Formats: sequence, C-alpha cells, structure tokens
Amino acid sequence: MAEHPIPSPDTQEDLPRFWRTLEERHETPEARRLAEDEFLPAALDPADPPPSGISRRNFLGLVGAATAVAASTACDRPQGKVVPYTRRPSEIIPGVANHYASTFQEGTRLYPVLVKTREGRPIHITGNDEHPGVRGKTSPRALAEIIRLYDPDRLKAPQADGKAVDWSGAQRRLMEGVQAAVKAGQQTLLLSGAVLSPTAKNLLADLKKALPGFLPIAWEPAESESAREGGMAAYGTQVSIRPLLDKARVILSLGADFLQGADPEAIRAFAGRRKPEGQAPPNRLWVLEGPMTLTGSNADHRCPVKPSRLGAIALGLARELVVRKGLALPAGVSIADLPEGRPAEIPAPTWEGLLADLASAKKEALVLCGPEMPAASHAAVHLLNAMLGSEALEIRRQDPLAGRKEIRAALEAMKAGRVGALILWGVNPAYALGDRDAWSAAAAKVPFRAWIGQIPDESAATCQLLLPENHWLESWNDFGPEELSTLQQPAVAPLYDTRQGEDILLGLLRPGGGGDTVPADYHQLVRDRWRRECHPAGSPVPFDRFFEAALHDGVLRGKASPAAAMPLLGSAAVQAAKGAPAGGGDFELVLAPGCHVHDGRYANSGWLQECPDPVTKTTWGNPLSLAVSDARRLGLKDGDVATLSVAGRSLRVPVVLQPGQASGVLSLALGYGRETGSTARGVGVNAFPLLGPDAASPNLRTGAKLESTGKHVELARTQAHFRLDGRDIVRSQTFADLAHGGEHKGHHVELHTLYPDQEFPDHKWGMVIDLNACVGCSGCVLACQSENNIPVVGPEQVAKGREMHWIRIDRYYEGDEENPSGTVHQPMLCQHCDHAPCENVCPVNATNHSPDGLNQMAYNRCVGTRYCANNCPYKVRRFNFLEYTADKTEPESLAYNPEVTVRPRGVMEKCTFCVQRIQDGKVRAKGEDRPLRDGEIVPACAAGCPAEAIVFGDLKDPKSRVSRLAADRRGYKVLEELGARPAITYLADLRNPAQGGHHAG
Amino acid sequence: MQVDAATLPGDLPERLREPALTEGLVTAGGLDDQVLAFPETRPPKQWYIALAITLSALGIGLGCIGYTFFKGIGAWGNNSPVFWAFDIINFVFWIGIGHAGTLISAILFLFRKRWRNAIARFAEAMTIFAVLCAVIFPLIHVGRPWLAFWLFPYPNQRAIWTNFRSPLLWDVFAVNTYFSVSAMFWYLGLIPDIASMRDRTTSKVRKVIYTALSLGWRGAASHWRHYEKAYLLLAGLATGLVLSVHSVVSFDFATSVVPGWHMTIFPPYFVAGAIFAGFAMVVIVMVVVRESMQLKNLITTRHLEVMNKVILGMACLMGYSYFMEGFTAWYSMNEYLHHGFKNIISGTYGWAGWLTISCNILIPQLLWFRRCRTSYFWMILVAIAVTVGMWFERFVIIVISLHQDFLPSAWRVYKPTVYDFGILLGTFGLFFTLVLIFARVLPVIATTEVKGILPGAQPEHGGHHG
Repeated sequence: MAEHPIPSPDTQEDLPRFWRTLEERHETPEARRLAEDEFLPAALDPADPPPSGISRRNFLGLVGAATAVAASTACDRPQGKVVPYTRRPSEIIPGVANHYASTFQEGTRLYPVLVKTREGRPIHITGNDEHPGVRGKTSPRALAEIIRLYDPDRLKAPQADGKAVDWSGAQRRLMEGVQAAVKAGQQTLLLSGAVLSPTAKNLLADLKKALPGFLPIAWEPAESESAREGGMAAYGTQVSIRPLLDKARVILSLGADFLQGADPEAIRAFAGRRKPEGQAPPNRLWVLEGPMTLTGSNADHRCPVKPSRLGAIALGLARELVVRKGLALPAGVSIADLPEGRPAEIPAPTWEGLLADLASAKKEALVLCGPEMPAASHAAVHLLNAMLGSEALEIRRQDPLAGRKEIRAALEAMKAGRVGALILWGVNPAYALGDRDAWSAAAAKVPFRAWIGQIPDESAATCQLLLPENHWLESWNDFGPEELSTLQQPAVAPLYDTRQGEDILLGLLRPGGGGDTVPADYHQLVRDRWRRECHPAGSPVPFDRFFEAALHDGVLRGKASPAAAMPLLGSAAVQAAKGAPAGGGDFELVLAPGCHVHDGRYANSGWLQECPDPVTKTTWGNPLSLAVSDARRLGLKDGDVATLSVAGRSLRVPVVLQPGQASGVLSLALGYGRETGSTARGVGVNAFPLLGPDAASPNLRTGAKLESTGKHVELARTQAHFRLDGRDIVRSQTFADLAHGGEHKGHHVELHTLYPDQEFPDHKWGMVIDLNACVGCSGCVLACQSENNIPVVGPEQVAKGREMHWIRIDRYYEGDEENPSGTVHQPMLCQHCDHAPCENVCPVNATNHSPDGLNQMAYNRCVGTRYCANNCPYKVRRFNFLEYTADKTEPESLAYNPEVTVRPRGVMEKCTFCVQRIQDGKVRAKGEDRPLRDGEIVPACAAGCPAEAIVFGDLKDPKSRVSRLAADRRGYKVLEELGARPAITYLADLRNPAQGGHHAG
Repeated sequence: MQVDAATLPGDLPERLREPALTEGLVTAGGLDDQVLAFPETRPPKQWYIALAITLSALGIGLGCIGYTFFKGIGAWGNNSPVFWAFDIINFVFWIGIGHAGTLISAILFLFRKRWRNAIARFAEAMTIFAVLCAVIFPLIHVGRPWLAFWLFPYPNQRAIWTNFRSPLLWDVFAVNTYFSVSAMFWYLGLIPDIASMRDRTTSKVRKVIYTALSLGWRGAASHWRHYEKAYLLLAGLATGLVLSVHSVVSFDFATSVVPGWHMTIFPPYFVAGAIFAGFAMVVIVMVVVRESMQLKNLITTRHLEVMNKVILGMACLMGYSYFMEGFTAWYSMNEYLHHGFKNIISGTYGWAGWLTISCNILIPQLLWFRRCRTSYFWMILVAIAVTVGMWFERFVIIVISLHQDFLPSAWRVYKPTVYDFGILLGTFGLFFTLVLIFARVLPVIATTEVKGILPGAQPEHGGHHG
C-alpha cells in the first residue's frame, strides 16, 4: 500500500463526525478522489492500479463469460456417475494405495508378497521386503496372480447339477453326499493340491476324526516324482532340497533349471554372487543338460548331453573325485560300484576343469539335478553332494505327496466302488493325469462328486456339485516353517459369491448345521492356532495386537529349529543311481512343467501365456524344441508340425529349432492343450498323456520318434533372429579380464552434434542394466505389464509382431549355431535418449522430452503416424494396431492401475520409466519437505527383477547409485554411434570360465 | 536475324522446320470438332464396361478402407518393425505418378518443347488424379484418422503447435501446395477450351455449367494477354514444385536414422524415379486414349517416341542411383548399410530387389531400339514394367529397410493382408474412374494450345518474316 501521510491528532477540529477510513477522516487527496468515484476501480487496494488494465468489474465479467463458455463446451461430454463415499471406509483414501502383506502358495512353494490395492482392489504384487529370503522380490507367476483374481471365467456362485444354488443348499448337498458315503461305509476321497498350512493340516486331521473313511490325498502334478524317488533311495524318506546358492562357489547343474523365474530367491542368490563388487569370489556355473534351459543359457561352461546319461556321468565324477582328487566315499559304497571315468560325450578339458573345480570347492560346491531327470541321476547327485560335503543346500523331510501311482491306485478304488464321495479341491486330474478315459470311467463309479475351485476345468465337468472358491487374495491362511511363519490375508472382499476352500470343508464338521464347538470360520481357526501356538506365552503384548503386527509384516520369526541331519544311505543311492533308463531309440523326450503356465493351472492367464518363454521366445503354446542338427536331418523348420510318438501315444506339435539342444533330445512343456477356460482353451498341446508310468522316470521318455507331417503353422514368437551378425549390441567379458583392468574391445565413439545440449534443471533420470546380473527370467516383463496396464493381444497378433510389452528381453547366441558358446539376455526398453530420433519426427509433437530427461508420450495428442517407431533404433515403441482395451469390462478392467492411462486403438505407447512412480516419489518428498532420496523411486521392472539387474535413479546426482554404476568400466550404451544419447547404460556381461577350460565346453 | 537467302540452299527453311506435331490435315475447326465433340456425344458401350470395372475396383477399395476404419490399422499387415508398408508405398507411388503431368505441363512449357501441347492436358489431369489417390494414404494410414487434421498448424485453445522439425509435416505442406498449384494450372489451361465448349453446346444444362466454369472468357486479346502471363507464372511456380514435392517426400526417409533410408542421394533419386514412373503411366494412358478416341493425328507416334526417350533417360538415371546406393553402402564401411544392401539382393525380399532392378533398369533398355519406341507392344510392356518396378522400388526402400534395422531381436518379416491389396486396387479404381470421366466430360487435348502448333499458326513458320 502506498504511503499517505496521516495528519497528526492536533488538527482534529475539522474532522467529520462519521468516517469510514482514516484517510477519509483526514481528507487526504486520495480519499477525496475516491469519494467522488462511485465505483472503486480496484477492490482491494485503491492505491494500486489494476494490473494490465483489467478492472475488477471487467475481470468478473470475463470470469463469468469464461465460465459460461467453459461450461457450454462441457455440455456434450459423456456423462458418468461419480458417487462419493458418503461414509468412507476407514482404511481407504481415494488416490492413495494401501499395501497388504500376504502369501501366495504355488504347489509346495511359498511366495511372501505385498499386495498393492487402490480404492480397495488389488492392482499389483511385489515380494514382501520384510521376508529375509525374497527381500521384496517375487516370481513372475505370483505377479500375474492379479489377473487371475479378475479372471472373468471364475465361477461366480455354487452350482448343483448345472443349476445355481445358494451356499446353504450347496453345503447341505456336500454334507449329504459325504454322510451318504460314511453311512455306506465307503471312503470320502479329498483330492487336493499340496497342503502346507498348519491350520489346514489340523483341519484335515479333524475331518479325518469326524468322518470315518475320510482320505485326503495331496497331489501336485508338476512336482517331480523322479526327484522324490531319488530322494527316497538316498535318504529313505521324501525330502525337499533347497539350494543355498549364495554359499556356492562352484555349481554343477545336471539339467536343473533353477534360474527359471519361479524362484526369486535362487535368482537373487545366484546373481548376487556374480556381482564383481561383491565380497565373495564369483561363482562358476557348469551345466550338463539335454534341452537348452534358462540356466544353461547362463552357464560359464555348458555341455549338451543326453539326459539318460546324467546318472552315469555323476557317478563317473564321483569315481574320479575319489580316485584322483582324494575325496572319501560315503560308508557302504565301494569304488568298484562306480563306473569308469570320463564319459565320451564330455570333452577332456571340460571334464578336467569341472573335476578340479569341484575338488577345490568341496563344501562350497553344489550339484543340482533337474526335477525331470530320472531318479538315478537324483540319487547320484545326492551321493556327490554328500561326498563334497556341500553346505550350499538344505535337505529337509517333506510331507508326503502323492504321485501318479497313488492317484492310479485311488482310481482303482473308485472303479471298485470303494469311494462314496469325491471332493476335488484345486486339482484337475481329468486333465493332468493325461488319461481322460480312465478318469471318467472311475469318476462315474463314485455316487457323489464335488469340485472346489475357481475356474471350472476339465474335472469340474465330471462333478455334480461345483463350489466356487475364493482366490487367495480373498482368503485367510498361515504357513510354516516355525522359524519364519507367513500369513495370508485377504486384500479384497470376495468379488463373487464364493467361499474359501477351507471354509467349505469346515462345514463338514458341523453335521447338524449348528456351530457348537466348531469355530465360525477358517479365519477364526487360523487366529485360534496362532493364539495357541505362535503367541508367546506370558507376552505383555495382547494377542490381538500381536496378530495385527504379524499381519502387517506378513512374516513372523520364531525359534529356529536346526534341520535334522539327514544321513545318506550310500549303497542304496549307488544302486538307484545305476538304474538309469536305457537310452536308445531315436530321441529322448524331456517333459517339464511350462515355464509360465506351470502344470496348466495358469493357462487361463493372458499375461503368462503372452510372456515369452525365456529360451525359445515363443508365446501362446508349447512347441517342441529340438536340436538344429536333428531338424536338418528331418528336414524340419521352425513352425513345421511334426508327429511325436512315444510308447504308442502320439501327438502333433509344431517344432522350434533350439541352438544348444543336445542332438537326439526333444523337450516339450506340460500345462498346455487345456480344454476349458476362454483364454486357455486350445492353446498348445497337452503333453501329460506322454508322461511315463514309471515313477523313477516319468518326465524323461526314451525311444521317442518324430516325423514331419508336412504342415506348417506360424509360431507366435517375439524374437525370430538370435544371431548378432557381429554387431556391437551386447558385450561380454570375463572376470579375469576385468581384474586385469581389461577394457572391452567395443569401440568408443566421439560424438559431435550441432544442437545445444538440453538443460536438466532438477533431475536427469537414468538407468543402468547389468547384463551380468540379468538371467533372463521375465520378472521385469510381467511387473511392467501389471504396473502399466499393458494389454494382452493374443497369439495371432504376437505372430504378426504386435505384442505390446514395453520391456522385452532380447536373447542372443554367440558362436556355433548348434552349440552356441554363450548366450546373453538383454532387457530392452525405451532408452529415453537425450537426442531421441523419435521426438523430432512426430508431426504433432506427441512425443517430446521432459525437463527431467524423460522421453514422454502424450497419448491424447498422438494421431498414430508411427513414424516415431520407424525411427526408433531400438524398436521399443509399441503401436495399438487394434482396439486392445476398450472391450475390457469388469472384472478384467479392475486389474488396471488407475495411475496409468489405458491407451486406445491407433496410439503409440512405450516405457515411461514409470513416470507415475516418479511423480509419486516427488510428491511424497515435497510433502515431507525433503529432497528425494537415492533409490526412493523404483520403476516396476526394477522392483520385479529378482537379480537386481536394473538400477534407476538420478544421473544428475553424482553420488547416486545409478551415476556411479553408469561410470563403471563395464558400462556402454547400445548403438551409441547413432548419437541418440540413450539414458540407459548397460554393464557388460561377465563370464567366469575355469582357467584353461574352454568356454562352454 | 538477317540471313542472306541467296547463300543458303533453297530447301533449308524446310529442313530447319520442326517436324510437324500433327499428322494429316488438321484445321482449327476440325480440331474443335474432333476434341470438343466428345462431351456432347453418348459414350460407347466399352466406356461403360470400363467404368463398371474401375468403379468396382474403387468400391472394393472403399470397402477395405471402411473395414480399416472399423478395425484399426491392424487390419493391414503392418507390424513392428515394419510400421509403414503398403500405406506409404502407395502414397509415394501415386505422388510419383503425378510427376509426369507437372513436368510435361510446366518444365517442358518453359523449355518451349511444343510437342507437349497435345499431351499436356491429359498428363495434368493424371497428375491431379494421382495426387488425389496419394493423399488418401496419409489420411487413412494414421492410427486415429479422425484426428488427422492435427497435422495442420491451426491456432487452437490447447496451444499445441505442430512439430516443424518433422518431415511428415513438410509433406503436408509440400503435397498440399503441389495439389493446389497443379489444380490451378490445370483449370487455368481449361478455361479457353471450356469457353469453346460453352459456345458450341446446345444443351441448356451444359451451357450453364460451362458458362460458370469458363469464368466469362470471351477470347478478347486482353484475356489472352492475361492468360498467357498467368500460365507462364504458374508454370514457373509448378517447375519448382516438380523438384520440391518428391524431394520433400524423400526427406521422410532421408532424414531418419533407418539404414537404407538415411541417404543423401534420396531427393534427386526420388524426383528422377517419379518422372520415370509418371511418364510410364502417361504412355499407357495415352496409347489407350489415342486409339479409343481416334486422336492419332493429334497424339502422334512421335509423341510416344519422345516420351519413351524420356523413360529411357530416366531408367539410366535410376540405374546410376541404384549403383550409387550400393556404392555408398559399400564405401561407408557401415555394417548396418552393408546388411541393408545385402537384403535387397539376397534377403527374404531379394526377389523384390531383383524385380525392381529388372523392371526399372534392364527392361527399359529395350527403348534404345527405335522399333520398341514406336511399337505399342514394346512400349506398353516397358511402361507396365516400369510401373510395377517403381511400386516395388518403394517396397524395397520401405519394407526391406524397416524389416531388419539395428537390433536383430526386433527383426520380422512383413506380410500384407487382403485389405492392403484391396486398398491398392481401390486407388487404381479411383484413378481410372477419374480418367474415364475426365475423358468424357472435358476436352482431353488442349485445343487452344494445339492450335498454336498447327502448320501456319505461327507466323515465323515457313515464311521469311525477318
């Protein structure tokens, strides 16, 4: 306010009696002028002239007009209902995500997870960072559980004989069926998946007591029976083997694909021990295997061998270790039992290097056997590990799981009329047994058949009573072991009229329908057990708070009970090891669970079907892999359909030529060829019927035959070219080179530009991807898919090259076509180039550079000329060739991340570096009035990477982790010579070949 | 120039005279009767048959475009990395076809090549029709065609401007300018002829239409003076456009980073190729027109032979361009360029590369022989070969370069769908439909210009008017 002198009080005689302001009272010239004006020119400060000549009146007039105009343009917008919470749920703040700790059980494996929910619906899954094993990482299959929750094929209400019933009716029907069996003195067979929860085990025990003839059988079709048989031979009981890869310096894999995405702990431990900045010496991976596996592609030395020979090779190793390296044989084994030394198929340098390595590493050595390998090789591997005294694995007794032999026995019982009631719970024998006729014949003899599950499957079609089960994201449960218990809690109320499987079974404990001593629900049962067994007696913390804390963390550390020593039965192991199936015939066929669909339970998940197999890069199906030389001999090309026959059964399957596959070895994934489920139906072929009857080697069949049919199909493959043709795109060097300061020979480019460099005032986001850490598991692909609402496009579109993944894993072989000397996996995503070639060719400015270094895409502005994608040297831009999203309705659309726009047809899209997470981090930091912390912002791919190969951060901060890594000697940029200045630095792959040993055998 | 006639052989003036541009006796009145009568007579049956065929093709094309609008670009074979395929091939192809018209009407006009007079009108019309076919593609090929108008820089409340660094935007301007100038040029030339038709016609409806279209032309000396000046100015303007349009179209490729596109030779190479393709199309259409409309005396064998000579010259330029492309690839020591060129001659699409080389370089060499230059069979064979070859040249440039660029992981083979072919067919349908209609409703030969080259029309011919 401008200064106006106010006269001193001594001139007060002339002042008016009533006054409004001091100025008026003292009659300053300004006040007189104002008094003469009827309307004040500006409302607030008369002394201040209105800015830019707009008076208040004019301003109000303009505002009024503008509002009217703005409102009129809004008139024809589509109207949607917005209903605010009248009473807001206490935990939900719109726009703010809640995270719940829970646990995902897959077969005999547990994944402690964190579920991100928005407005009450789960949208994203990551590992639980409170859990010391997984440390915030999880498997691609766990990530994909989000869309399984929202699967539109889920059964929404109970059905009896094809008609909808309510739950009381359904429970009554179940009770009647079971009671009838009890009355008739027949068995009640409960066929389920592995039951790991202690509470559920108690429940089954109670049911056994309450219902005479109640017989639970746990069956996991994907669990290896040969491993079980091998373990039984070596230890006399069913055992589970947990590799402790961080303790292993020398790893020998005999067909064991332990890096396949299912086990984030293994990947983290393996990759963690290969980082050059680590304390422990880097590990060395030797792989002897038939099919090319993901683990084989990460080997330092790999030698293709026939799987039937693995047992003999392992025994040969044992003999040489004793004879030449002085290791002791276990008690009861004589050297005469072990065959002669080096098998012919393994080159001498590889053999010698491997022997020397194992002998020097001893307890730091670890030998792993592939679950699909015959029991003989499992037994031999147990022997080797015992001889080496390996401390890098944990052998534990396991609850008995049924094999197909036991299931066959149950079928016999059913056929013989000894079973009065059958309850299927989460298993699909009609499909996974591979013998539909036998199943149907047996099931027809059971008077009462009930099915508990989520998506009606092949087996559901053979049952009268269908009971829809909660997804685990809607369920309560608890899991052991005692030293590290985990809890499962619902992240969302059941979407449909479904019940948790355990709750349904609980109903069987209430014969009259009355409650009496039986708890109200399974949740109560879990709480009761925790109150009884987990809550420390005499603890000052009340149980409710104790339980809430455990739920919050998702894990509870208890007393560690040392694993009981497991003595090896030496001579029995050797005997078993020698019982390998005879080779011979044209081909050996390896049948392994599908990398993404597992035993077929995930076959209805579009995310998993469309996630490329990390080795063959095929999606939507299970082509048969065969060696390049074999394919040449048979005149087969990629996509040619062949007839595969083994032991009288045959099926027609397209083939894929697999470099590195041992000659004479075929491999085919299980879990495809489903007949139910709108997504799963008809994708791939069902390989379960090909499994062998012998429990010692069901997954490895010898004497398989392959014949061309002359037909050809288009494989839905995301990558069709695997050779680098000498291009400097991926780099790899050895640890020895690195230690000697060896720079990679890739050329450095001096780049000049005519354009001024862009200024980045606050941040300059960048990324470092360590090719050495990346094993190629696809965790990043699925994490990105979930976070960024990436649509699933289907096999025809993938075959046309229209998949939408923002991040892909390129895989390149090095060297020989038949037996490549190396494989590199390279995650490829938008490089956020400073001089992005895509940006200057967009005619409508839809893609441009942000002030913090992001190459950003304005979907609304994009008209879809696709010029940007043509000009992208990395081909990471994705175009919506068709409408992939608009037809998605609830429940599928509930899986969308509300932070990320869903892109319509005709629009280009690509990786944003998870800009929504960057914004979230910035807002959070601003709200807390602090600078952003390094590592605070983690894009979904980095969070989903079990190997911690992806590091994101601010390149402008020289102290940030990403800046330090980007300056690493191994750092290089892909296609740097183009001058696009990518923001992603790749760190060269590192190999650790044995001294003198030839790389990859 | 003063020449002492006594020192020269007596027949020199005859020998110096350009050969006649018409055959037989053509009088001004006869010319009018011959050319301007078409619109007033009923078309023959063959014309209706031809129109039915071209309209069917157009209908198929429209159906395919409709399906594309309904489904999205996914209806086509385009994929990643071949984001552009038939759409841009057809665009460049049709823009190229249009080039002969402008070249004939503008550049040859400025060079006073009078043989152009008889064919200029038709060639210009073909330019306009070809550009109409071409502009369909930028509109329908975008992912959201209903927003294609965003490519125009117009003031908007979002305050978003177009990106002037993008060659696609340059295309928008270049093609629009080209189309408007060509259309103006064509229309300007038509005015005196339309006025003649106005004066001839007896039908009232036609009279009204022609009166409106002839803009009050009375043939006054002042009209002619203004007309000639305007025509000369537009010719000058269009000359620049002949060179600029296809240069700008070539920038779509030349300014990108894609190996096989990023070449400095592209602008002249594209212009030469466009003239080449355009002349071939003009030859095809002219042969049909002169035969079916009995215009042999106006469009003489000499016209065809001169056009064939242009085609031969351009074929040699194309050969040079292809050779230079290969040489650059080899000399650059750049592995991506090496690979790109190898793909043209031996890759998945090697057949397309060889087809291009054969059709555009080898087959036109036939035109070294006078017999081939003057025989319908051979000239049509060559012209069709060039048309096919030039289409495949764009296929080679666009699809072969895109399908294997930098990262082998992204490489993929492209396969067109039935809709791609349908739309290509549809543009041929559109082009020939317009050609057929044009041939029946407007004078296919610029009678006023031909009158200027009739024997005796020019005062200096055959006289001693110092």
